[in-house]
Amino acid sequence: MDKLPLGLALDLRKVIPYQTGSWRTLLPVNIMQTPPCTHACPAGNDVRGFLRTLAEQKDYEAAWHVLSRTNPLPATCGRVCPHPCEEGCNRRDFDSAVAINSAERAVGDYGLEENLEHKKLIAARKEKIAVIGSGPAGLSCAFHLAKRGFKVKIYESHGEPGGMMRYGIPSYRLPNYILRQELENILKLGIDLECNIKVGVNIPMDQLMQNYDAVFLGIGAQKGLTIDIPGEDTKNVYTGVEFLREVNSGKYVSVGKDVVVIGGGNTAMDCARVAKRLGANVSVVYRRTRMEMPAITAEIDEAMEERIMFRYHTNPVKIISDDDKVVGILCVQMELKEPDASGRARPVPIPGSESVIPADTVILATGQAVDYDGIEVQKRDGKWVSTSEELMTNVDGVFAGGDVVLGLETVSAAIGQGTRAASAIEDYIDGSVESRLSRPPVIYSKDLNTYYYQKKRRFQKEALPIHMRLKHFKELYPPLDPEAIIDESERCFSCGQCFNCGNCFMYCPDNAVKISPKTGLYEFDLDFCKGCGLCAKECPCHYIQMTLEK
Amino acid sequence: MEKSKYLEGVEKKDLFAHGHRACGGCGQALAARLVADAAGENTIACVATGCLEVFSSPYPDPAWRIPFLHSLFENAAAVASGVEAAYKALGKGPVNIIAQGGDGSTADIGFQSISGMFERGHNVLYVCYDNEAYMNTGVQRSSFTPYGARTTTTPMGNRTRKKNMPMIAADHGIPYVATATVDDFRDLQKKVQKALAIEGPKYVHILAPCPLGWGHHGELTVEVCRLAKDTGLFPIYEIVDGKITNVRKIPVKVPVEEYLKVQGRFKHLFKRGVPSEEVAEIQEIANQNIERFNL
Repeated sequence: MDKLPLGLALDLRKVIPYQTGSWRTLLPVNIMQTPPCTHACPAGNDVRGFLRTLAEQKDYEAAWHVLSRTNPLPATCGRVCPHPCEEGCNRRDFDSAVAINSAERAVGDYGLEENLEHKKLIAARKEKIAVIGSGPAGLSCAFHLAKRGFKVKIYESHGEPGGMMRYGIPSYRLPNYILRQELENILKLGIDLECNIKVGVNIPMDQLMQNYDAVFLGIGAQKGLTIDIPGEDTKNVYTGVEFLREVNSGKYVSVGKDVVVIGGGNTAMDCARVAKRLGANVSVVYRRTRMEMPAITAEIDEAMEERIMFRYHTNPVKIISDDDKVVGILCVQMELKEPDASGRARPVPIPGSESVIPADTVILATGQAVDYDGIEVQKRDGKWVSTSEELMTNVDGVFAGGDVVLGLETVSAAIGQGTRAASAIEDYIDGSVESRLSRPPVIYSKDLNTYYYQKKRRFQKEALPIHMRLKHFKELYPPLDPEAIIDESERCFSCGQCFNCGNCFMYCPDNAVKISPKTGLYEFDLDFCKGCGLCAKECPCHYIQMTLEK
Repeated sequence: MEKSKYLEGVEKKDLFAHGHRACGGCGQALAARLVADAAGENTIACVATGCLEVFSSPYPDPAWRIPFLHSLFENAAAVASGVEAAYKALGKGPVNIIAQGGDGSTADIGFQSISGMFERGHNVLYVCYDNEAYMNTGVQRSSFTPYGARTTTTPMGNRTRKKNMPMIAADHGIPYVATATVDDFRDLQKKVQKALAIEGPKYVHILAPCPLGWGHHGELTVEVCRLAKDTGLFPIYEIVDGKITNVRKIPVKVPVEEYLKVQGRFKHLFKRGVPSEEVAEIQEIANQNIERFNL
C-alpha cells in the first residue's frame, strides 16, 4: 500500500461514497406514454416514432419502415387522410400542430421512389385466409396477415384493386399511379389477388368458408343511396358513387353545363369538384348549413376556392325532365329546428318557398349502403354488419371491418379496422386470447414543460393556383420538399418519449442520472438519487415521472 | 448514446461527485458541480465555511474530485490569494484558482478579504452562491436577503433591500463580473470559462435557490430561478472592464407575485391570497432593475 499523506487515515480513492439514495421517498421512473397523435389516429400509426426518426437521423428510409409497420398505405393516407392526429397534437396549445399529414406523404413518396419493401415478420404458415374486397380495410388486413406468414388471397369485384381509393377518390386528390405502386408493394408480400370476382355472385360464400381458415369481409359501402324523389330514374341522374366510379374508370362522362350535387358529405364534395373539372358550373344543394356538413373542412374550403356554389337550407323535391333529359331540379327552402337523433339540427320545409335550379346533370351524393348480394351476416340497423369486440360477425370464422362495419368512415379508420381484424384472426386461428397489449395512458399538453421548446412556423403545403387546377385531374398538391419536411419533423414535441435533451443529466444536483453503458440511454443511479423530482419537473416531454418508492 | 446535440458546449465531468449531503433539489450543489465541470481538472477550489463546505467535504468521502481547501467563514478569498501567490512564488502553474462562498461569507463576514483580493489584483475567480440567507446555520438573515423575505431572524419579513454585490465588485475596477443562475447551465458554464481565461480578479454571482430556506419543493429549483430572471428581480448581465454588456432580455415579463407565491418565505405577504403593500414594493424593485439594466 502506498504511503498516505500526513493526517489521512484512509485512502480516499478506496472510500465508497455515502449512498444518499436511502433518503428518497419518491422515485423517478422513465415511462413511455402514448402521444395524442397516435391516440387520435384511427390506424394507430406511430406518428412520434417516424417524426423523431426523421428529425434525429434525417433518414427517410428508417422513417418509412416505422410508419409502414402499422400503415401499408402511407403515400395514400398522406394525401387523403383528414388527419385527426393533427387535431390531437399537443403542439396546438403551444403554436400550431405539426404538419403530420404532409410528413406522412413525404415519407410514403420516398418509399415509392426508392422501391422500399415491406419486411415479413415470421416465415410462412400453412393457414389460408380469404379477404373479400381490396379496399383499405381488406388490404390492411391482408398486409398484416401476410406479414405474419399467412397465405392470403384477396377477391375483388372490380377490374382493379383499391376499392373506394381506386373508384371513389378522384385522381386530383390521389393519383392512380401512387395507389397502384403502393398496392403492388403490398402484394409483393406474397398476397394473391383475383379481380372481377364478386363473392356471393361468382363464387358462393360457403365455398370460401370451406376452403379457408378464416374470411375477412371488407366490401365497403359501394352502393349509392337515393332519396326517393320523383324523376330519379331519368338519364343523367347519378348517385355519387356511380358518378365517381365512371370518371375514375376513365370513361368520358358528359355532364353538360350545369351540375347539381345533392348532399354535404365527402362524396358530394368529390363529385362537385370532379364535375367542375369536367367543365360544368356546379352547385351543391344541402338541406342544413355548413356547420352540419359531414365533409372534411379542408375539402369544403377547397371546393369553395374552386368556385363551387353552395346552396344551404335547400332540399330537392322533384327532378324536372324534358324528353327524358334533366333540365332542372325543384327545391324547397328549409329552416332548422331542434336537433334530431343524429344530433344535427332537423330541417323542416318552409311552405311556398319552392324554386327551380337549372341542371343538366344531377348527382345524388346522399349516402351509401353495403351491397349484400349473396352474403348473409347479422346486421345492425339493417345497414351495417354487427360484429363482436374482436370484429367477428355472427358467422364463426368470418370477420368484418371498414365501412361495412363502421358506416361511412375514412381510409385510415378502415386501415385500423383491418389491422385489428388481422390480430383477431391470428388469435382465432391460434386459439389464444387477445394477444394485443393495451396502450399506456395518453399524455396531454398540461403534462409537458414547454419552456424548452421553441416557437416555429408550421410547414404549409402549397396547392396549385385555382386557374391551374380546373382544367385537368393533375394532383392538387405538388411534391413536397424533403428538407422542409425534416425541418417540420423537428417541431415534434416527442410527447412521452425521451429525445435526448439531456436536462435530467445536467440538472440532477446529485449526479444520479447516468448514461447507461449497456443501452446508451439515460438511467437513474438509485444509490444516490434523493428523489427531489427536479429531473421530472424539467423533463420537457414528461418521459420522467415521480412515483412512490416501493 | 453519442453526446446529445442539445448539450453541445456543455461540460459534465462530475468533478463535484455524487454522495454529498445536500438536501434534495439543492441549487448550490447543482451550481458547484456546473462550476467545477466548467473549470476542469486543473483547478483548486478554496471554499469558505457554509452549506457547500458542510455537505461536500466530510472525511472520508468528500464530493470534490479536484483539490479542495476549506478555510474559515471570513477568509476564503484571502486563502485563495495565498494559494495564487504560492504558485507564483514556486513558479508553477498555470492553474485555475476558484474561491467559493455563500452569500454570508461573501457579503457580510468575508467581505474584507474579498475586497482585499480584488484590490491586490490576484488572479483568482471568486464565485458567490447566492441563496439569500445563512442557510447552513438555520436560515438567518444576511445582507443578500431580499426585501420582504421571512427568515428566522426576520420573522415578519426583511425590511432592507438586497446588497448589490456585483456592482460593488465591479467598482473595485476588476476586469470581469457576471451574474448567472442554475437554470441556464450553458450561460453559467460559459461565464465561468470566460472568467477563467481573463487575467486578474474575477467575480461570478450565481443565484442558487435553497428549497429548505426558501420554502419551495426541491423540484422547483430551476423554475424559481427562471421566475427570478423573468420578473426582473435577478438581472443577468456581465460587466467587462467596467461596462455592462450581454444583458439578458426578458422574453415575457412576469409579475413578481408569481415568483413570490411559489416560495414559503414570502407566504406572509399574501393574506388569503391578497397581496400586501410589500408586494408592490418588490414589484418596484423589479421595475427599477428592468429600467436600470434595460431588461
